[in-house]
Parts: sequence; structure tokens; C-alpha cells
Amino acid sequence: MSSILTLWGTPSAVSRTGIVAEHVATRLAAAGHRVDRLAVRDLPATALLHADTSDPVLRDALRLVEKADALVVASPVYKASYSGVLKTFLDVLPQFALRGKSVLPVLTGGTPAHVLALDYALRPVLTSLGATHVAQGWFVHESFVHPAATPGPDPDPHTGAPAEPADPADRVHRVDPDGVAPLLELVDAFSARLFAEGEAR
Amino acid sequence: MNIVVVTAGLSVPSSTRLLADRLAAAVGDRVDGADLRVIELRDHAKDIANHLVTGFPPPSLREALDAVVSSDALIAVTPIFNASYSGLFKSFFDLIEPDALTGKPVIIGATGGTPRHSLALEHAVRPLFTYLHAVVVPTSVYAASEDWGNTDGLDTRVARAAGELAGLLTGRAPSPRPAEPELIPFEAQLAALRPQRSAN
Repeated sequence: MSSILTLWGTPSAVSRTGIVAEHVATRLAAAGHRVDRLAVRDLPATALLHADTSDPVLRDALRLVEKADALVVASPVYKASYSGVLKTFLDVLPQFALRGKSVLPVLTGGTPAHVLALDYALRPVLTSLGATHVAQGWFVHESFVHPAATPGPDPDPHTGAPAEPADPADRVHRVDPDGVAPLLELVDAFSARLFAEGEAR
Repeated sequence: MNIVVVTAGLSVPSSTRLLADRLAAAVGDRVDGADLRVIELRDHAKDIANHLVTGFPPPSLREALDAVVSSDALIAVTPIFNASYSGLFKSFFDLIEPDALTGKPVIIGATGGTPRHSLALEHAVRPLFTYLHAVVVPTSVYAASEDWGNTDGLDTRVARAAGELAGLLTGRAPSPRPAEPELIPFEAQLAALRPQRSAN
């Protein structure tokens, strides 16, 4: 068993990146790892942008990175690269914050033309942070991820509660199993490697 | 205007050559008196390898290198192999002196079997020419296999890149972006929907 931090950087509260990150986190937890979750969006923006590490919430976040054996780092593709939100957090990490850790990079995006952002943008920054092993990552096309439908504008006429989406399947976040199957294969390989490393320690 | 097209396709016919020809034609349409010359690197493959190890180019390769260096503009097209430019393409530009392309306007293009490798142009090919101090136009042109079935998007990018190169060569700004549709204020839209009250 390893301690894994799933980290994602997206400005939206409900994001395809967050849904994919949660999917990966659930998979790793089911395999028997201890999984923490960290959405950069939830950190105090001022402390983050001023690199104010005296902020207790930011300090806790940095502590999560420090104590993790491995990380899953997920970002949406913005302007053919990872998001600025993710980078603001990576920027407050110590220079070799990922030394001795394995990292699984994950991107979500709307066009296959940006798949190489994974290897040309995200991977180098993880390597530069001293990651011992940056595993083969995966780009998930956004069409495979379906956020839950938000309640409709008209309240239910009987209860006055916000109207539920007509199709019950739309009430929860979903991912297309076929679309994320290659990612989950990589997650399983990542997990197996962590178990092997744990035994060797 | 001497415009040299360098294409590193390996097969005949090659989609890389096809893209090179499209770019050349688009530039030819926009630059008066454009004298276009295509250099197929596959024809020089052995000479390029020999030059790399001996330091001396055979005459035909020397002539090709001189043509590139003395051109007014360059169109450089490579197939994408292993998510980067091809070895043949890189080997050819390794034979160019580091400052020989300084200030030269360049269009970069690439072909590949999958759109997933589009960014190789921005992360591999563009930095190569930036290192050589060339001026690479903002639009790079990637053609995946599927782009040849429906070339609308490809044609647009080819035209934009050619317009940018022509702008650099003639000193005028490239054709402006199509105008944004005019924004009609919401009140005006609402007023248009309001039923006309008939005078009685």
C-alpha cells in the first residue's frame, strides 16, 4: 500500500478533469492504496499567488505533497498546455518536491491535436520537480466525460424543489468505460509498480 | 523572390510532399514573382549522411544547402516520426550554419498519421527554427491522414500561413481576421420582437 495524492488544477467547481481525477482516485483506493485528494481550486487564492506558505490551508496542502509516495497530477488542456491553476500550485512547491516520488500525469481536453501537451508540457515540469518516475500518462477526450446535469430552471410543481434531470443517469457524473479504459490500464500498472516498490522498501 | 520548399517525405507519392506543394501553391498565389523550388531531402539522403560524418558535402547537396541559405523565404515540411521531426529532416538542418537562417521567413508544416501529434510542430519544429534565428510565421500547418479526406480546415490553415509569409515578404500586414458579427444590444433584439401596436 502506498500513500497517493490525487492533485488537479482546474478553475471550475464541476470539471471533467475533476471527474476523471476522482475516477482514478477511486480506482487506486479500491486497489488498496491510501488516497488523498487535492483540488487547487479549493486553496486560498491570495496565499497561493503570493506564495504565502504561512497560510495554514496552503501549508496543509504542501504537507500532503510531502508525505505522498506518489501523485496523480491532472489538468485540463488550456492554450495547448496545462492550466495556470495547476501551475500556481506547482510554483509554490519546493524545487525538488517530487524527489523520490512516482507521478502519473493526466490531461483532459477537447481536441486530439493537443495530446502531446502531456509529453511536451506537463511531463517536463514534473521531471523538473525531481520526480523519480513519471509514468506513461493519458489524455482523456472530454467527450468521454459527462458531468451530472444541473437541475432545470423550473422548480418541481408539486414539491417546489429544483427539478431533477429527467433521465436518472444524468443525475450523477459519468465517464464512458471505453473512453477511460486505456487510462485505467495505466492506473493499474502505476498501482502495481507502487506495490512492487513498497515491497522493495 | 526565391522561395525554397524543403520536404522530408520518404515515399513517392508522399503526403508530406503533397502538403509542401499546397503550401508552395498558396504562397505562389500571394507573392508576385515568386520563384518556387522544391528540394526533396530523400534525393539527398545518402549525401546528408556522408556530409554529417565526413564534413564535406557532394556538389548536389552543397547546391541544395546554398539554395536554402540564399532563399528569400523557406517552406519546411517534415513527417512526424515518434512525435517529432524525422531524422532526415533534422540531419539536413544540422548541416546549416547556426546563423545562416537569421531573419529568414519560414512556414513550418508537418504530416502524420494521427492528429494527436500536432503539437510536435510547436514543441519540436518551431524551436529548431527559433534556435536558427529564423522568423517562423504564427500559423504552423499540420495535416493528419484524416485531413486529406476533408480539406476545409487544412485549406484554411494553409491559406493563413501563406498569407502570413506573404505579409513578411512584402512588408504588409497579413489579411485581417474576418470581422466579428456585429453585436446587437439585447434591448434592440427585444424591441424587434415586440408586436407593433396598430393605430386605431
